[in-house]
Amino acid sequence: MHPMSTADPDRAELDRRILAWMGEEEAAEDEARFEELALELFAHQFARCEPFARFCRARGSTPKNVESWRKIPAVPSGAFKEMELRSFPREHERHVFRTSGTSTRRRGELHLDTLALYETSLLPTFERHVLPDLGEPSERMRIAILTPSPLEAPDSSLSHMFGVVLERRGDEESGFLVRRGELQIKRLLDGLERATASDVAVLLCGTAFAFVHLLEAMECAKRRIALPGGSRVMETGGFKGRSRELPRDELYRRLHRALGVPPDRIVNQYGMTELGSQFYDSVLRFPGTSRRKLGPPWARVRLIDPESGDEAACGEIGILTVLDLANTGSILAIQSADLGRALGEGFQVVGREPGAEARGCSIAADEMLQRRTASQPRESGRDHPS
Amino acid sequence: MSASAQDIRAALERLRVAGRRLRNRPVRETIDALASVLETWREPESRVRRALCTEYAEATSFSPAMVEAGMARALAGWTGDSLRSLLDRELGGIEVLEGSALRNASGFEVTSVMLAGVLPSPTLLGLLAPLLLRSPVLAKTSAHDPVTAGLVAGSVAAADPELGACLEIVRFSGGDRECVDALLRADCVVASGSDETIASVAARVQPPRRLVSYGHRLSVAALAPDRPTDSAARLAEDVALWDQLGCLSPLAVFVADGERGGATAFGAELAEALADLEQRWPRGRISPRSSAAIRRERDEAEMRAAGGAPVRLHRGAGSSWTVVVEADSRIRPAPLHRFVRVHPVAGVPGLVEALKPVRHHLACVGVGGFADRQSEMIAALGQLGVSRICRIGTMQAPPLSWCHDNRGVLLPLARLSDVNGAVFEL
Repeated sequence: MHPMSTADPDRAELDRRILAWMGEEEAAEDEARFEELALELFAHQFARCEPFARFCRARGSTPKNVESWRKIPAVPSGAFKEMELRSFPREHERHVFRTSGTSTRRRGELHLDTLALYETSLLPTFERHVLPDLGEPSERMRIAILTPSPLEAPDSSLSHMFGVVLERRGDEESGFLVRRGELQIKRLLDGLERATASDVAVLLCGTAFAFVHLLEAMECAKRRIALPGGSRVMETGGFKGRSRELPRDELYRRLHRALGVPPDRIVNQYGMTELGSQFYDSVLRFPGTSRRKLGPPWARVRLIDPESGDEAACGEIGILTVLDLANTGSILAIQSADLGRALGEGFQVVGREPGAEARGCSIAADEMLQRRTASQPRESGRDHPS
Repeated sequence: MSASAQDIRAALERLRVAGRRLRNRPVRETIDALASVLETWREPESRVRRALCTEYAEATSFSPAMVEAGMARALAGWTGDSLRSLLDRELGGIEVLEGSALRNASGFEVTSVMLAGVLPSPTLLGLLAPLLLRSPVLAKTSAHDPVTAGLVAGSVAAADPELGACLEIVRFSGGDRECVDALLRADCVVASGSDETIASVAARVQPPRRLVSYGHRLSVAALAPDRPTDSAARLAEDVALWDQLGCLSPLAVFVADGERGGATAFGAELAEALADLEQRWPRGRISPRSSAAIRRERDEAEMRAAGGAPVRLHRGAGSSWTVVVEADSRIRPAPLHRFVRVHPVAGVPGLVEALKPVRHHLACVGVGGFADRQSEMIAALGQLGVSRICRIGTMQAPPLSWCHDNRGVLLPLARLSDVNGAVFEL
């Protein structure tokens, strides 16, 4: 565990209170607590991050007149590609996570002076939604990670997250299966077959694109594995910049056929490099109910009507905007590039429907420009290196 | 109703039969019929123009007022005579189609056209061009415009029923591989769409079939200090027509004033002009996704400004129109739907540098001013691969003879044979 940031006493106190909430067993929703911490954190960041303060002032929002967390202006995630947004002195920086990108694309950066909140936030949420059936915190399972390790990809928040998960909940045969950018197919399949022969349930984690790679390799080799009961898959991210795309339903159907993991044991994670907390499909935690994304009590989602800027009406599509108390060192309110719809106490990410809107031949110009310049995350928007 | 692969194969057979009849008729009859179709489309009170302002506007979510204005501008120069001139310019005259010249041209036995866009005039020309070469046409409607192709077919049939039998329209999902394969059995295939779509079609159209492909393009405008005083009003029309969804719609404006103030001042003028146009030609309805993209780009512009960059944002109500005056010439994402960026550039060299990242996709540059640097501009833009240079305010009114990449309207669809020397003399 990394040390807390202590240089700023106000910040240290905020971190302490938020970490305390994260550390509570069965941490619960608490509107009043969230409101209080969110408004204090807003005031803290407003005072320390000048671009954020100017952005808020331009909207007429200051700590003096914002009385609800719902009114805190949200910074578009793309801004993290344009400037360094930190609420602590540069010299205190300890770590930087970056969004995926190429030499021709700018990468978003999350600057951190501590990893304590990131790590403390991620684990209970992961456990609650991906490992709800594991009992004691000491109980471990076989985990195969289809990303590079944090050593190989130190600026990938996804690799970092999996590193923490692996350290806390992985058994001795768990590990990362991407080396020097290559998915270790043979090693992975051999490991899955060994686990199957020993009736050991497996958790496979990775990007959707990595799973497509795995499926293609298995289908090409005509290999199928029926993983033991209790096995599950956690996938994240879209197919941005990739030559192949698969609708999520088809990805799940093919994963079921290739690995024997049914769709109701496949969890999609919604996250962004710019966020300290993540959201997960409800299928393992609340089996038999509608698939929806759920997060920790210290992160809230608002759906914003893109035309009016107000909250979208119930059931209507809106821009997913996240207010995350784990983001103490940067900006707490982030406007994603994704659309969503409220469902129960959670939300669904709304994907792009082919041909959903009349577009002309400028569409490619739009996409081309986006490819060639600062691009935005897409559906299920984690934007990690992989 | 969605067509099946069997329907498409049957249509191709019918068209082959109809094409034989067409090629046995005098060429002039066909040309006259097609010229009269164009004249009908130019008539503001014609049934087809009314249908564009109602059915088409409803299907595409464009505002009827904008559709009417856009069609009036697009068809202004598309006369029957211009169609005849096109034949002269590209092929050398009607005789070339009659087999009585030293160069002879013919269309393919059947041409299939995969429509992709949302604007009516490219669809109109795309369907008439093969017919002019006496090649029957089977067209798949665009997913974005289910109306125009049918209107063209109706106009042709009304003008000349026998010619009308040479144009059939089918509708099916672009993802229906069996239907696409059936359509690709035509002797000549015209495909429009993204680079990915074109690549996919190209892999499936093998010689001796001919593939004529049109990829996506983008356009920009360039202004100099000697620009006309009404430049903002002119450019606002270029932006507003077709809600920026055409490949001739300017997505960005480069102001070569030598100092930033020019871009800032022009951005304010352009904003005012777009606000005015919103009253006369309201923007059409857009999806939440498009609206969200506009909001995101606006918010990011505001964040850049908050970060200290001299960025100015002008916006209309909701997402109706947006002008972002950028601090630099870097091309940024374009969410379309009347969202335009104004960039300062240092003269023609600065403009060329700014356009380099998109040089392979440039269609048109609308120009305001540069009177003293005309040759330099034409040479520089030509080097970049720009296929059309025009005055601002006319970007949405290309002549009938300009077609995608300036490769010609008829030539790509024609088979040519030259008679060298006195071959048939005794």
